[in-house]
Amino acid sequence: MDYLIIIVTGMVGATLTFYVSAQLKQGRVRASALLSLLVSLFFYFFPEVLNDFLTKSIPMVFIGTSFIGMVTSSAKTSYVRLAVAGGLFSIVYLNKSQFFDGYGGALGALAFIALLTTLTFSELLLRKTKFLAGVAMLKKFFSRTNP
Amino acid sequence: MVAFLVLIQLILLFITLKEKVEADSLAAVGLIALIMLTILCGSRYLEWHHKEYTYEKIAVAIWIPVGAVMCYALNSYVGLGSVMSAGIVGTVASFLPEINRKSAYLKKMPPAIYCGAFIGMSSMAVAPSIGFMLAASMLSGVIYILSKNLFLGMGGKLGTMAFGGVILVSLINWLV
Repeated sequence: MDYLIIIVTGMVGATLTFYVSAQLKQGRVRASALLSLLVSLFFYFFPEVLNDFLTKSIPMVFIGTSFIGMVTSSAKTSYVRLAVAGGLFSIVYLNKSQFFDGYGGALGALAFIALLTTLTFSELLLRKTKFLAGVAMLKKFFSRTNP
Repeated sequence: MVAFLVLIQLILLFITLKEKVEADSLAAVGLIALIMLTILCGSRYLEWHHKEYTYEKIAVAIWIPVGAVMCYALNSYVGLGSVMSAGIVGTVASFLPEINRKSAYLKKMPPAIYCGAFIGMSSMAVAPSIGFMLAASMLSGVIYILSKNLFLGMGGKLGTMAFGGVILVSLINWLV
């Protein structure tokens, strides 16, 4: 259950930051920093609401995925892709090496990894779909010309 | 510089992969190996970069150490924690362009300061002194200047640059 909450947090972090940044036009830095500040303040003042693991992990996952939401709207992105990237971030975060704990920027690097992977996958799938549609059109064309 | 940014990510993933192989976690190994391949493919074949290579001004990158030291002080000396410290520094920085909305320079300050804040999120165990912060900030500043037109608009780029600086200084520290 805890892992599911972390994954949902990742999806919300990425999409909400993008919404505040792009739709509410607050800018990328303010969207990420302000939302992360609010989440961390909540757990600072109410540390007993959730268990220790979630109290420590949710602010970290939220700020990490808020970096994903800092993507510009011109970078072929959508809310679905951002949610997938946020979910992927959470999964990698839960499996990441303890070696990099305490290294500044590690969450940003993970965000970059999750976003780049998601965008690359969706681009490849899109290209494959276009390629398959092209092959189908050619097949149709040749079946008409050579009955 | 693209190769350097990708290398940083691959190092992070490779160490995670190594741990998962040792732990016999096959699903995690498969996922991380797939992510590594996708990153290599994505950074090589998809166009995320400007064709024209330009540099960021030093006058902008100079704000990275400011963000780093402010965040580090709030995190390590005041004890607010890394997320809250970065949130405070980033939020304050995001309002700087309001001082003069016509100023192009003020608009470039928040990303640089926020990049510095990521460096300042380092724990005392990793970054034991302000000197470490300044060194990591300077290296991240160099990466920031050189990678202006790379991975345009990608989320996490600032964090990767910060991570690059921290990793390089840690490596130098370990070697010396």
